[in-house]
Amino acid sequence: MMPRYFKSLCGLLLAVAGSTSFATEPVKVVLEFEPDPANGRYLFEICARCHLPEAWGDNEGNYPQLAGQHTNVLMQQLLDIRSGRRDNPTMWPFVQERTIGGYQNLVDVVSYVATLPMNPHHSQGPWPQGTEEYKEGMQLYQTNCSSCHGAGGEGDNASYYPRLQGQHFSYMKRQAIRVRDGLREVDPAMAAVIKALSDEETDKVLNYISYLPVPAKDLAPSADWRNPDFE
Amino acid sequence: MSDEKHFTRRRFLQFTGLGLTAGAAGAPVVATAQLKDAVGGTPPAIAKLLREALLPQPKGARVVVVGGGWSGLTIAKYLKRYNPAFDVLLIDKQPAFVSFPLSNSWLADQIHLDFLSHSFFDAADNHKYHFLQATVLGVDRTSRKVYTDVGYIAYEYMVLAPGIDYDYGRIGVDDPEQQELLFQHYPGGFVSTSELLTIKHKIQSFKGGTFLLNVPSGDYRCTAAPYERACMVAALFKKRRVRAKILLLDMNTGIKIKKDGFHRAFDELYKDYIEYLPSSEISGVDLDGKAITTEFDEYPFDDAIIYPPIRASRLIEEAGIVNPRSPQMAANTDPFRYHVVGDEHVYVTGDSRGQPFSKGGHTAHSEGKYVAEVIAAHALGKEVAWRSPQTMCFSSVEIDPLQAMSIITYYKFNKQTNVFDFDRTHMIEDWDIQGGQASLAWAEGMFRDMFYR
Repeated sequence: MMPRYFKSLCGLLLAVAGSTSFATEPVKVVLEFEPDPANGRYLFEICARCHLPEAWGDNEGNYPQLAGQHTNVLMQQLLDIRSGRRDNPTMWPFVQERTIGGYQNLVDVVSYVATLPMNPHHSQGPWPQGTEEYKEGMQLYQTNCSSCHGAGGEGDNASYYPRLQGQHFSYMKRQAIRVRDGLREVDPAMAAVIKALSDEETDKVLNYISYLPVPAKDLAPSADWRNPDFE
Repeated sequence: MSDEKHFTRRRFLQFTGLGLTAGAAGAPVVATAQLKDAVGGTPPAIAKLLREALLPQPKGARVVVVGGGWSGLTIAKYLKRYNPAFDVLLIDKQPAFVSFPLSNSWLADQIHLDFLSHSFFDAADNHKYHFLQATVLGVDRTSRKVYTDVGYIAYEYMVLAPGIDYDYGRIGVDDPEQQELLFQHYPGGFVSTSELLTIKHKIQSFKGGTFLLNVPSGDYRCTAAPYERACMVAALFKKRRVRAKILLLDMNTGIKIKKDGFHRAFDELYKDYIEYLPSSEISGVDLDGKAITTEFDEYPFDDAIIYPPIRASRLIEEAGIVNPRSPQMAANTDPFRYHVVGDEHVYVTGDSRGQPFSKGGHTAHSEGKYVAEVIAAHALGKEVAWRSPQTMCFSSVEIDPLQAMSIITYYKFNKQTNVFDFDRTHMIEDWDIQGGQASLAWAEGMFRDMFYR
């Protein structure tokens, strides 16, 4: 019933440190899977019960826009929530192996989500282009964020940098507060940037990010678009 | 003790009268008639109620949360998260938590009671608040005190999340003795744990004949639950080959939620078991003759689960904060900020709330996170933007393995009509194993949030 194609199990990389027979450092295992979007669509039915079939998130900041996000970023979040590194008690049971399955299924579902067109009307901050706050946010972005997240907020799949374009302002703000207050553990460099900014500066930079344009080819034709896979 | 002095007789009567509703083990229940004898001197049992409860000194502004259901548990946790300086105290009259959501799956042996049962101690310990098992008797909003069976507790903020009470009068049962018999023999299973245990025993030991269930009228708790319960009972009878007919009397004109899905389940899975009768306005229950009467008919039964219409918890009425326009005695609160009109230190949430949001666990949970933010912001002289609660509702219709449908919805305020409408609803009426799995994962995640993380 649940198709699983293990097309390639590519590499197994072991890094065992220490000169004696005791491993003294973490052992890293790299696995590669070929995604199966059909299985991903099937699995996404469970996710869609909360995230909705479009995976567009909501203006209240409860759910992020998942559509269009890089697969590596999505995968990292699933693994972090599964392990408890990212604390999300209500999602935790859904990403356990007994519920969603093994790595192949995680690969399939993130690959499916990454193909979905994005919400053309995500929630934005209070200061549009032309305002002083927008300009300050732009400067803060260029100084603090663009070197990793890209000049246009496009992120980078290979480096696991999230795509920020199109993300809900309310969601980013909520996450920034969680990082600031030590409730969400992220890359130390990222945490340092957030902790260095004042609350007003954080608002301004997130405001600027929320106005970064999303390439038209990645957007759904309208906010009324509904995912035909779930008709 | 100074409180005893300025406690006028009038106020004394007002609050002690509330003892009648408590009914919890160990609660001093004081009848108003007896109080007349007490005017001359306060009997020791009463004096105890007027003392300050023996609790650790609060280490910050005290927030008392009354009711350890889905609403109160969520609010207690998130109050502490959004403002660690708050000294949060959760009060419940029950010794432990047993979830009503997912209880229908337990009735049909799909999960163990352990899955639904959790300790208030764990919740308080993991989230750094205090828990007190006590019965709330009344509230004095002027002096900001809440009176319990172990004495009074002063608060800076108070959240009332006491849930619902049954309204047997609306099915023509007004006599208190008849009400008690009806409650204990044929409980609805939506207010106390003993009801659930009685229902489980009923179903498990049913030998055959007519098993009657009903769907109440009005805005009752958990819209889909009575239909789901009919399916779960039918599934169990079918599996055990019990020769039974399940009579589902709906006081509404039709199935209120997931209509196509439930109709299909009744027809495809339980054609030989469930008889569904809409527009069955119950007008009385004959306990001796074991029959329910409606406007036109009488329905004899061998056993039954009778879910009367509901009202907001009587505590809301006794606290003097009922909205006079509310047919179900809901609280008179600000529809966006949840505080009692004219009192920004008292909030009402969960199924006693004034807004007509769907009554159920997930609604209370998502609402609770928001209200905790509202109160934390208020303490700092700030405001947070209103956001809609979310209603997530799974309905199981088939067992071994569990299969379920689901719906998720938000609300938006319609400024033209001045009411809340549904918003962004997504419904899956094709039940499947994934839905059943999702329902279990959903509940597990909620328990994890409220008790352990």
